[in-house]
Amino acid sequence: MRPLRPLAALLVTAAALTGCAQDSATVAAADYPSEEVRLIVPYAAGGPTDIAARALGAHLEGELGQPVVVENLPGASGATAYVELISAQPDGHTLSMTALPTAVLNYLTNDVGYTAADLAPVGVVTQVPSGIVVPADSPYPDLEALFAAARTDPQAVSVGTPGATNTHAAETRRITELYDVPLTVVPFDGNAEVQTALLGGNVTAGFMNLSQDVLPAVEDGQLRVLAVGTEEPLDYVDAPTFVEAGYPELTQSTTTFGLIAPAGTPEEVLTTLEDALRSAAEDAAVVEALDARYVPEEFLGSAELADLFTETEETFRDVVGD
Amino acid sequence: MGITDGILQGFSVALDPVNLLYVFAGVLIGTVIGVLPGLGPTATIALLLPLTYSIEPATAVILLAGIYYGSMYGGTITSVLLRLPGEAASVVTTFDGYQMAKQGRAGPALGIAAVGSFVGGTLSVVGLALLAPPLADLAVSFGPPEYVALTALGILLVTYLGSGTPLKSLAMAAVGLLLATVGQDPITGTTRFTFGSVQLFDGVDFVAVAMGLFGVGEILHSLERTEKVQAVTQRIKNIWPSRQDFRDSSGAIARGSVLGFVIGVLPGGGGVISSLASYALEKRRAKDPTRFGKGAIEGVAGPETANNASSTSAFIPLLTLGIPANVVLALIFGALLVQGITPGPQLISEEPEIFWGVIASMVVGNLMLLALNIPLVGVFVQLLRVRAGILAAFALLVTMAGVFSINNDSFDMWVVLVFGLVGWLMKKTGFEPGPLVLAFVLGEIMERAFRQSMLISGGSLDVFVTRPLSGGLFAVMALVVVVSLVTARRRRAAFRHVDPEGESDPATDPATEPAPEPRRTADTDVPSAPGER
Repeated sequence: MRPLRPLAALLVTAAALTGCAQDSATVAAADYPSEEVRLIVPYAAGGPTDIAARALGAHLEGELGQPVVVENLPGASGATAYVELISAQPDGHTLSMTALPTAVLNYLTNDVGYTAADLAPVGVVTQVPSGIVVPADSPYPDLEALFAAARTDPQAVSVGTPGATNTHAAETRRITELYDVPLTVVPFDGNAEVQTALLGGNVTAGFMNLSQDVLPAVEDGQLRVLAVGTEEPLDYVDAPTFVEAGYPELTQSTTTFGLIAPAGTPEEVLTTLEDALRSAAEDAAVVEALDARYVPEEFLGSAELADLFTETEETFRDVVGD
Repeated sequence: MGITDGILQGFSVALDPVNLLYVFAGVLIGTVIGVLPGLGPTATIALLLPLTYSIEPATAVILLAGIYYGSMYGGTITSVLLRLPGEAASVVTTFDGYQMAKQGRAGPALGIAAVGSFVGGTLSVVGLALLAPPLADLAVSFGPPEYVALTALGILLVTYLGSGTPLKSLAMAAVGLLLATVGQDPITGTTRFTFGSVQLFDGVDFVAVAMGLFGVGEILHSLERTEKVQAVTQRIKNIWPSRQDFRDSSGAIARGSVLGFVIGVLPGGGGVISSLASYALEKRRAKDPTRFGKGAIEGVAGPETANNASSTSAFIPLLTLGIPANVVLALIFGALLVQGITPGPQLISEEPEIFWGVIASMVVGNLMLLALNIPLVGVFVQLLRVRAGILAAFALLVTMAGVFSINNDSFDMWVVLVFGLVGWLMKKTGFEPGPLVLAFVLGEIMERAFRQSMLISGGSLDVFVTRPLSGGLFAVMALVVVVSLVTARRRRAAFRHVDPEGESDPATDPATEPAPEPRRTADTDVPSAPGER
């Protein structure tokens, strides 16, 4: 029965890899950290979140005096990672990166096995703004002209977004809802595809992240930003905010990358982590690795991130999910 | 960036010592698995995919591309010496190559195949360098309706041109499309067929499916075939073909290059079809067609050139449109996605080191293959003595560890095992996994593009015919369907009294079709010895 031999070997390997036992060490909070810290990244290796996590992990290692192991668990817009996080001991030895508002929209849209109540926020790492972008040769000089065109012909304006359930799609629907501007949301798969669709003239506008991959096209004049979704104007993008353009409600599209622990993590541990994160935001090398444009000027800690979770949930509860 | 700058940049990438090492590793692995019957480029690339995640994206594609065209060289050796196609695209080489070997002319057969492969591969690289950049510029304006048309054409062609019966291919494509619907809806975000499992939110992992169907499926299948490969005793001499051989085959090599290039670009095209088409063309052009099947050197030179040319030009749709033309390219597509790079019209301008680096590495790789193949044929033949069981156990281990490493999720290992069993059963029942996997990949692109089109057009289907490009593509599709139905009917009438299975390839003109006997070998992706039946 020679053919069965490899099968047996295979089953043994599979079993060994599947059944990795969970670490169940319970350690007093005072000794924290007493062993290596797992930092889960809810997105694939090589992406912006992963790069941020690795820069942060290296810094935390120095601050905490224990190895920080970065582990990528992509899938289901982060749900795979958060479910893994909340199944771990809440002792600060398992942490995760998170991205808002996606992390909130995720459980508002579907039953994904966690809610904000299962998570203990530590602090904000970076904030990446969003904006409404049109191709350079677009007939619309500003936001008002674009929205006016949409009001005249409800079919006229299609808005590409980097995903179906993410903040940009939700925020675009909110524009329609709050200000009665009929916009057709056309979800694409990621920022790059929206950019291609804009350059090819296949969508009228894009509501997308103003991340490192888009800014070069804005700087060399292929794309124009009509408005940015931050509360304050940005010094690196020449465009008004929605607030300045007369849409004060549209401040929820910024993507916030933060650090979270499982709910129930002791207060002292959270404080230790928050301090370590604050020192990262003051470390020039870390800030450069994270891209200085995206590191908040004033550090946002545990309380601020918790507020952001609540605020995001309130904003989008009625827009998504049915 | 101009082409000259691009080529210079490409060579600076390709001649980097690390990349040189990976080109060499790629073409060597390719040759080896090409020689081994049962392990084709698809299975190998599926198995090795996870190992590429930690290396630079350009290096990863250089390695995988090397395996692909390297296998086109290696497959020849087994076909000529043992009448067993080392990989599917070399099936036609068994017709005349083996006859040449029997006449003591194995050397020239292998030599002309290597030279032809080199010429075909090199010309195809030139075509890729010249055609891809302007095509990519054009492709920026491709909108969702064009993508719907392209993916639909791809699925249609892969089912019609596939080597299995169209009905089985269509059934498999349908399964692939169905599989593509698992997970979150691309437009509304609601979940489909996930049965409440968060692991299925992103759909079934493509790499896991491909590794299961091709990798594990083939391994299980090859373990069942216990026939022993007879050792080669004959010494191979005079590898370098004579002047007369070159004169006889130069035309075939030239035509094979062009034909292979064109077929490689078509969605659903690729190795097997290009080599079959080249053989048919050479046989039709020959003054004395009866020499074919009895050791005609053109019958080796043409197809071997064509399959290598097609394996290079198949990169064009992937690198310019983000649409994989065949299953191997679908896997390379997967490798790039895992690296965080979405192949599309912007790839050449945004990641020039990938595009030009891969092109330059192909020139280097083809040179290496020429140098490897001519003196080392005897060494490669010894590979046929490795026991299948050892190879299989090792491959399974690599597969399971590899698939786990993609998402660090043990769920994917179950996906591989399940699809491995499915793949094995499909092989046994004569269903091809190719259409399934390609439809699975293209289905996701097609669904999203179709619904985007509907959103943009406000629900009107006119958008598909009023836009010139998508309208043109749909017209081509209609033509393919009509032509294939007509020729199938005509052939069925003509062949009814001779060969009841003659309708298996409706796209080929019946008059030029190669002898029906070896066609059966092409039906399965793992070719089996013709004598086995």
